[in-house]
Amino acid sequence: MTLRLGVEPRARPALPVRLGVPVASLLAAGLAGAVVILVAGASPVEAYRTMLDASLNGVRPLTRTLVLATPLILTGLAAAVAFRMKVWNIGAEGQLYMGAIAAAGLALALPSGTPKPLMLLVILVAGAVAGALWAGLAALPKAYFNTNEVITTLMLNFVALYFMNYLIFGSVSFWRDPEAMFPQGKLIPASAQLPIISHRLHYGLLVALAAALVLWWSLRGTTWGFELRTIGDSPAASRYAGMSVSGKVLSVLALSGALAGVAGAIEVSGVLKTLDPRAIATELGFTGIVVAAVARLNPLGVVPVAVLLGAVVASGTNLQTVGLEAEIVFLLQGLIFLFVAAGEFFLANRLVFPRTAAAVGSP
Amino acid sequence: MNDTVLVLSVVSAIVAGTPILFAALGEILTERSGVMNLGVEGMMLIGGVTGFWAGVQTGNLWLALLAGGLAGAALSGIHALLAISLRVNQIVSGLALVIVGGGLSAFWGSSGDDPLIQSFNGVRVEPLLPEALRDLPAVGPIVFGHDPVVYVSWLIVAAAAYFLYRTTPGLSLRAVGEDPAAADAAGLSVTGIRYLFTLVGGFGAGVGGVYLALVVLGTWQTGMTAGAGWIAVALVILAGWRPWLALAASYVFGALRTLGFTLQIAGVEVPSDFLNMIPFVVTFLVVIVVSANPERARRVGAPASLGEPYSREAR
Repeated sequence: MTLRLGVEPRARPALPVRLGVPVASLLAAGLAGAVVILVAGASPVEAYRTMLDASLNGVRPLTRTLVLATPLILTGLAAAVAFRMKVWNIGAEGQLYMGAIAAAGLALALPSGTPKPLMLLVILVAGAVAGALWAGLAALPKAYFNTNEVITTLMLNFVALYFMNYLIFGSVSFWRDPEAMFPQGKLIPASAQLPIISHRLHYGLLVALAAALVLWWSLRGTTWGFELRTIGDSPAASRYAGMSVSGKVLSVLALSGALAGVAGAIEVSGVLKTLDPRAIATELGFTGIVVAAVARLNPLGVVPVAVLLGAVVASGTNLQTVGLEAEIVFLLQGLIFLFVAAGEFFLANRLVFPRTAAAVGSP
Repeated sequence: MNDTVLVLSVVSAIVAGTPILFAALGEILTERSGVMNLGVEGMMLIGGVTGFWAGVQTGNLWLALLAGGLAGAALSGIHALLAISLRVNQIVSGLALVIVGGGLSAFWGSSGDDPLIQSFNGVRVEPLLPEALRDLPAVGPIVFGHDPVVYVSWLIVAAAAYFLYRTTPGLSLRAVGEDPAAADAAGLSVTGIRYLFTLVGGFGAGVGGVYLALVVLGTWQTGMTAGAGWIAVALVILAGWRPWLALAASYVFGALRTLGFTLQIAGVEVPSDFLNMIPFVVTFLVVIVVSANPERARRVGAPASLGEPYSREAR
């Protein structure tokens, strides 16, 4: 008798499977990370305990984690909404930079006496518009020529990065503080800074949570969301049903870019208080893709996953106390992404155990 | 004559284009089998750090290239498993490779008692041909002045073109990429061929990473590719999945990447951030132009099954 595991596709899996597979993937990634930590000569138990302490144990670590989770919720939503329609926006990174540049620019340009609510509204809208327009540069060719958006959105990341560097390091631009000895941005006025909830945690978190709720509802409860999901599952059938696929590509990429742009605006207004390219270019856009993948593109799932990955990022520097370089957090993110991607197979397929195979096999 | 701006810039374009060429050639072979591996950036980084480490250990360029190639292939093996066997979305799996490769290489390169970052590699890279040829005006430095790896890359381009269009295994590879069901019916192992050429593609990206670290930059830096892997992915499209066009396009991109150096010796002042932008702006524009012309897009078309997993049962 040959023991051969069969595989068969399955329809929408039950809830325990939909939750269990991502959790199992996370545990597997944690185990693989433990192996790497062992090979690097540190103790995995100590490393993971340090990570938990540094990210979740107490008010101060917890707020730090939530500060990092805030932009990840938004970039996670940016990836989730685009990927749901199988539009591969890999450009959240650049869209976030453009949002940060626009927000900082308006915060500096408007009179500092502008009422705070108005100022904050203007900044966030500016971030959204800048992100949407930057995504639009890739969305227009995608909609009209079917240009590969993976390449175009990615190329625009580098253009935005160098543009942001130019504004602070390469020139004495409007954004740069002319008095400072080293190149750095001007401080935005107090009226442009998001109010604080506790410690360094700012109200940007509520903006991100609201965005998650609204997006979740829009995908489930509106025609727009229904069309988006239908096009994602079958573009040909949707065209036949009379849906405008190219119009939807434009609106989805613009929305995705806007969410990433708001993340950039919130980083400037709530955390950095200035346009600081080094502090903004920390792969928040790419980590958002991991967030969306782990959350299986569900906007509500994005929130806890962003907190989890925010915790991983938050604990990076603390790992040096157990003899690990901070770069380990990128490796852990990559492992999580890899195992979650592999987990998709087990959600789409069911394993058939050899008992049934043996029944039809040779004796 | 041999140190005019033009000659120097052509030579530096060839050196700067060589890592992209290796990576793009590998990706062409992978995509010809119907598998799209977007993880080139990650495979170049993991290949680069491994090859750099091997170079520091042995001082031997060829061992370094081999080690880096094998590391790139090992990472691409993960993509093969996910994309071919587990039929995971190839874009997601490729992106995962970028993040894993970037993270692992950054971690390895910066940790330990003797981190690889900024260390001296001690690998000597000498020109291959005799001095009499290298001293010829213009053609000397441009054609005869290179290190052996550049000549190897030319041989590989020729071999890849011959293999794809003139041999039976090359035909099998193209058949699997165009119509896996028909190839399967004809007795070809779709899975086997796709695995093999995904690994070959990873090897190419790894070799490109080693050349970038050891020869172009001369040192290991975290994230040293700075988008070179993505340019290679785009270049496959621009070259229409053809090896010889990939050679030409790689050198054009090499020239764009070294444009700052060229303009500097020509005495032109352009902010370096804008110079750094140029390869990405050009790639962005050219990808759009290529797709905007439907006639051309059809002629240089991608392998028909590119990015689609094959399952015999699902037909």
